[in-house]
Amino acid sequence: MLLDVLSGRSKAIPWAGITAGVGGVLLHTLSLFILFTSRGHVTLISLKESVSFFAWSLVIVFLILEHQRKAHILGILVFPVAFLCLLFVLGVSTDKTFLHTSTTSILISLHSVLIDLGLASAALAFFVSCFYLLLDMFLRKKIFNPLFNKLPSLEFLDRLNQEFNGMGFIFLTLGLIFVMIWSYRTYYMIWPWGKKGSWALLIWFLYLATVLLRRGKSFQGKQAAYLSIASFFLFAITILAVNLFMGGGHSVF
Amino acid sequence: MAHEGRLHLLKLTLAGVNHKTTPVDIRERLAYPKEHLNDALKALSSREGILETFILSTCNRVEILTVTSHVSPGPRFFLDFLQETHPGLQGINLHPYLYHFTGEEAAAHFFEVSSSLDSMVIGEPQITGQVKEAFERARSMNLAGPMLNQIFQRAISTSKRVRTETGISHLPVSISYAACQLARKIFQDMRDKSILLLGGGDMAQLTARHMKKMGVKSLTLMTRDTQKGQLLARDYEAGHASFEELEQRLVDSDMVVCSTGADSYLIGEELAETVLHRRRNKPLFLIDIAVPRNIDPAITRHSSIFLYNIDDLKSVVEANQREREYEALQAKEIIREELQAFARWQADRSTVPLIQSLRTHTESIRLAELDRFQAVLATLPPEAREKVDILTRSLLNKILHPTYHTIRQSSDIDEVREWVSKCYGLPAESPTNDPPGQTSEAPDPEALPSPTFLKRESPA
Repeated sequence: MLLDVLSGRSKAIPWAGITAGVGGVLLHTLSLFILFTSRGHVTLISLKESVSFFAWSLVIVFLILEHQRKAHILGILVFPVAFLCLLFVLGVSTDKTFLHTSTTSILISLHSVLIDLGLASAALAFFVSCFYLLLDMFLRKKIFNPLFNKLPSLEFLDRLNQEFNGMGFIFLTLGLIFVMIWSYRTYYMIWPWGKKGSWALLIWFLYLATVLLRRGKSFQGKQAAYLSIASFFLFAITILAVNLFMGGGHSVF
Repeated sequence: MAHEGRLHLLKLTLAGVNHKTTPVDIRERLAYPKEHLNDALKALSSREGILETFILSTCNRVEILTVTSHVSPGPRFFLDFLQETHPGLQGINLHPYLYHFTGEEAAAHFFEVSSSLDSMVIGEPQITGQVKEAFERARSMNLAGPMLNQIFQRAISTSKRVRTETGISHLPVSISYAACQLARKIFQDMRDKSILLLGGGDMAQLTARHMKKMGVKSLTLMTRDTQKGQLLARDYEAGHASFEELEQRLVDSDMVVCSTGADSYLIGEELAETVLHRRRNKPLFLIDIAVPRNIDPAITRHSSIFLYNIDDLKSVVEANQREREYEALQAKEIIREELQAFARWQADRSTVPLIQSLRTHTESIRLAELDRFQAVLATLPPEAREKVDILTRSLLNKILHPTYHTIRQSSDIDEVREWVSKCYGLPAESPTNDPPGQTSEAPDPEALPSPTFLKRESPA
């Protein structure tokens, strides 16, 4: 049985995983619903909430994809990452908020949710890219093991990578547009030119470059996978840095 | 039905030779040509004690399954039969090649054969069809009775379960299919892909046939001999091109299968670089099954090129075979479950005659007793007489219920029969001596008792 689990041979494993995932995401949705309705807005006001919402988005996007395209191999990365995120959320007892509730508005709510969805899309592009590179290595080194048999085609992984990056770019762009409108209304300033603003703009340009490069057919495969991996890391680091280390958090916006 | 009354005494025996026990030079001489199979079956069924039988003869095995009453025929019986029906093998000792199973072991082996777990290429689908054909032949000659019917139905349903519940037949084990498997790891959908065949060797043709089945968009054949190439291309509904167009065709294709007799590289570093540049780095899947090779292995330094030679394809096949062997272990579990179900069927069927005779016996006693008190009962009103009838019947059923239950649960029907006969004074069973071969019509399983052959027996 253990061998089956490790090699992914047993057909019951994906089924059990997906069922558990659906159950988990339903409960998670319920908890988010209670949180948001009790507070009256959907703004993610702390790292803890951000991470929790990220885990939820990751699983939701994966389940939709699984339903439409049968890509359950992604689950072996999505579920553990979502689980670790939730463990982190449970482990954080005191949570510093990076937003004063007084600054919340519908624009900020949309900003926080969209940026989190963008990060989830970037994470999925990152996972897909990892699988791409793994399968590419198997094909080149001629390693034919059970995992090789389970992986979908390079073409499929490459297409998913492109789609997730595209989704990530749209979420990121919309998230930034909403915060720019809010910033203009509040501070009469469209873009806060500081460390945070510059990093956010860099990430946006990176994703813009990815999307544009993918439009030209010659940028694909391994190069695209490496770029996705790098973009995701930069995105995740920026989010963490903006919220944790760049003094003042979002509150100075 | 000739042996209907003593089904519980039937014995299942299987003997045969296969690719694991017997070298091909003996196996090929032991195989029954189709036109001789009927005669062999007739000869076998005319032997004393044989009630049902069938012979499975393929290039890898000859298996003989028999149903007999009371005693299982030993290996000598089958050796004599094989020697007699193969005069050319006189003087050759077949004993070391023959395996012989009875009871549960025979059923288990038959299930494994039908499910292709015992095949040379594990999971190959032909064997199930061959088993069906062999059974149909026996049935058409009235040599398949209730026991063979049951074991055949279960063997077929076992093979279906093995095929659907395990991955035993998912991974290809031929070189040409392995090429298709690799193509599916690179491309998502072959229906929008173009394939170029360089040379029209057998392997290239096989690959072309598989690719056609996968629905590839276009297939182009490139041969030096234009006339021959065009004829071949027509067979596969493919286009034909000359070698002068190689560069352009490489640019347009997604997969290339190379099998020409050229003694130098047809696709070298320079050509690969030009082609990749023109393809804008779109992946190109190359299979070089030619010896000497037609494609320079150095071109694999390009990240868009995936190149496989004949040895690589062989290693794919070997890996798939290992996977199939693993799946065969899973399939053994299915066979174990099906054997248990078969044993339950056997047990159920074997208890029916005993329960029936006990019921008949006690019912005759009840009727006799009611008859004895006929004078008294006649004085009662009809409703009261009916009540007495119901009461006695119900009393009898209540008393006998634990006995019926014990009979159904028993693992040793012979012992229980003896015990029940002593306790209830059942009349002794009268054995019949029907001639063999008269077991043609399959009885209604609900109405018929059946044998208990599932007690393990050591081979004679």
